[in-house]
Amino acid sequence: MIETLQWSTLAICGLVAAARIPSALRGENRSLFGIFALMTLAILLSIQGPYLVIDQAMGGINLANLLLRFVVFGAIFFLGIRVSRGFGADGAYRLITGKTGLMVLLTISAVMVALFLLMDTSGSSAGLMAISAKGGRNSALVEYYGAAGRAYPAFVALALVPPMVRAVRERLPLLVRIAAGLLALGGAAVALTLLFPLIPPSMSAAEFIINYSAVLCYVVGLALIWTARIVNRHSGSRKTSTEM
Amino acid sequence: MTIPAKAFQRWLQSIAPDASTADVCRVSGIKRTTLAQQLVRGKVAVHTVVSISRAYHANPVASLAVFDDYRVLAGPPHPPTKCELVSQISTPDLLRALLSRSAMDPAPGAAAPALGPAPHATSVKNWVDAIDDGEVRQRVSASTGVAPQNYSAQLTANRLSPELAMATAVAAGVGPVGGLVATGLVTEEEAGWPAGARQAALDSLSDGELTVLAGDRLQALGKVLRRHEHDQAQTEKIWENLG
Repeated sequence: MIETLQWSTLAICGLVAAARIPSALRGENRSLFGIFALMTLAILLSIQGPYLVIDQAMGGINLANLLLRFVVFGAIFFLGIRVSRGFGADGAYRLITGKTGLMVLLTISAVMVALFLLMDTSGSSAGLMAISAKGGRNSALVEYYGAAGRAYPAFVALALVPPMVRAVRERLPLLVRIAAGLLALGGAAVALTLLFPLIPPSMSAAEFIINYSAVLCYVVGLALIWTARIVNRHSGSRKTSTEM
Repeated sequence: MTIPAKAFQRWLQSIAPDASTADVCRVSGIKRTTLAQQLVRGKVAVHTVVSISRAYHANPVASLAVFDDYRVLAGPPHPPTKCELVSQISTPDLLRALLSRSAMDPAPGAAAPALGPAPHATSVKNWVDAIDDGEVRQRVSASTGVAPQNYSAQLTANRLSPELAMATAVAAGVGPVGGLVATGLVTEEEAGWPAGARQAALDSLSDGELTVLAGDRLQALGKVLRRHEHDQAQTEKIWENLG
């Protein structure tokens, strides 16, 4: 089931990213294409098969995992900027791009890289399962490294949840309000990842489900806004000035 | 508020004794499938009764008064108040009337043209505002069980169910048909409003009263337009960043 979830998420993300290529070539909101492309890459790197192939090519020391973390950081950073600007969430925008946000990003990145260097990372392993199994300090380091990797996305996601909840209740086109609801849901899911250490190993499937539903909520939410614009453009050209 | 099919059939018998359903539909311009569906569900729309009444030259208000839920429409005619009459004059008509007053323009041009028929773009809200003593909405809410925010939403959309329109009139102590005129269900004439009553009410307003009223209307219109522009700008911003 988890495999299905992973591959279908990859397919959806990839399709949306591909669908954005024409508008990206026309120069419309290129960063949105970037967000989708980064998300697709992140999902690709989080699936066992592709991960092993890519990591082998990068030397087999799990550098691909570190790359995955930074790809996620990049995607969520740009997503935070776009969404907070689009929805006029000045507070969230300042929090993400201001001194605080950049400090949080730098600190977490530095800690994450340090933890990565402290680990014995030889031997490709998706999710660093095998590294953790080496025991000793490695299992603890993997745990901290994972927590650091989840901290920054959770920071951005939490900043975006209140404005999204507000947008759901505003007088916006219905599709946009549904999209805001999905973005809020995705944000809540990302924030939930902070609680992963509390999930017992027997329920580790829950972690996958939360991760991928968060990505799906974000991707589908953003795609919906785009759809809403297209719908609006079409209906707008058909009925001219009948509405106030 | 729909009408029970049984009561509707009985009424139809009395108004068009020998007509088949097909005849009724043809004469009144109602789609046969629509009426059939309403009869099967046992709930006939108020509009259906109004259309059939008109087709058979019966007064729609008198027809509606036959049904239990619309009993309040029966009884002695209740002339509209001046406020109600003025509320059913559209804002453009009101402004034109103001411009033709000498207080506004010492050398007025031609007299204002004839008033457009009720209802107008904001007739429902203007009607409720005209008869509201400040607590009408609460009383309607209490008597009908409709939440105040749902009531307001209907007014904003320039809509009001016949049930709420009558409850509002009763709560405000005005004639029960006023709301049905404001919502466009029946015409002024059908409601028994004297011809030219709105024009007469308008003419009886002093320059000061008319100016203040026009100001209120403009202010309300301005608010709606500004809110619309704000929503538009917000949506544009979303398209720009995320579209």
